[in-house]
Amino acid sequence: MLLASCATPGPPPVPKQSMFLVIPDSEGKVGQITVTNRTGTQVLDQPRQASTVQSADDAPSPPSTLEETEIKRIFGEALAAQPASPARFILYFKDDSEELTPDSEVLLREVFRTMRDRGALDISVIGHTDTIGTREYNYQLSLRRARRVADLLAKQGVDRNILDIESHGEDNLLIKTGDQVREPRNRRVEITVW
Amino acid sequence: MRALPVVAVTMVLVLVLFGAIAGASSPIGLVKVTEGMATVQRGNETLPASLGLALQEGDVLRTGVDGRMGVVLRDDTRLSLGPESEIRIDRFLFAPAKGHLALVVKMARGVMAFVSGNIAKLSHDAVRVETPVAIVGVRGTQFLVKVETQ
Repeated sequence: MLLASCATPGPPPVPKQSMFLVIPDSEGKVGQITVTNRTGTQVLDQPRQASTVQSADDAPSPPSTLEETEIKRIFGEALAAQPASPARFILYFKDDSEELTPDSEVLLREVFRTMRDRGALDISVIGHTDTIGTREYNYQLSLRRARRVADLLAKQGVDRNILDIESHGEDNLLIKTGDQVREPRNRRVEITVW
Repeated sequence: MRALPVVAVTMVLVLVLFGAIAGASSPIGLVKVTEGMATVQRGNETLPASLGLALQEGDVLRTGVDGRMGVVLRDDTRLSLGPESEIRIDRFLFAPAKGHLALVVKMARGVMAFVSGNIAKLSHDAVRVETPVAIVGVRGTQFLVKVETQ
């Protein structure tokens, strides 16, 4: 070690180190992470708080605050590649029917818009029912609902290959109820646009 | 007694069906942003990280000098890599109804931006990023990691 440092004159090289840092999310909230190895642990929960670690044998450094410009310099490329989070919609249906409620007819237009704006790569369509009727009947009913929505999306030019259709029947209630309960909020199709 | 074989056959059928659903390595997410040299290694196979490529547990995501990649996982976790980076999605379990929740990302090198999703929201100890020098426990939500080893 001594010899090595004697042999390199001039400014010392920047030591290689790993860095961990929390930043506010899109809603401005700062979460919390812990950075741990066998020699120590640090909690980061303030905006732009960072801890650096030289090696697995060195404890994580106490938190320090990083400048925006530094964050951009080091992480700019990773941040630029960040995808948008998936968009989710819930469409509701008339009682015992695969016909959309008027409100949901309107919302459907927003679904179309979102698909186009994002260049959707995958769309999941999951049908649900309330608990009126048998489990098997409801499985078929929610399948019809999901297929109906899929047809409407396909009519708008969505490639059927990116449509993922599922039926959950009465097994995945949005509003928990007992059996044989009419509940409009459970009669739905959930759409996720990726 | 006569009913027994029917029950048995039904049970086998149910098991086979469930097996088919569980066994089909269902996608855990997909590639949403890709630029320059970006690949996904699955077993011995290396695939170009094309838009919309479905990801599976165990996939290794790599970027080259000019590469970038952004992926979304099924629980809404978003991971993005800058150049010369490598991560492995070691474990992904998202079955909230059964309480099965886990996400382990192993990061070998490079830079990553991480926005946690529903797994972190539902379970405080389920999400972790392992690097050669330290392990990150994730409560949420957005954080950055640079791995640079000696």
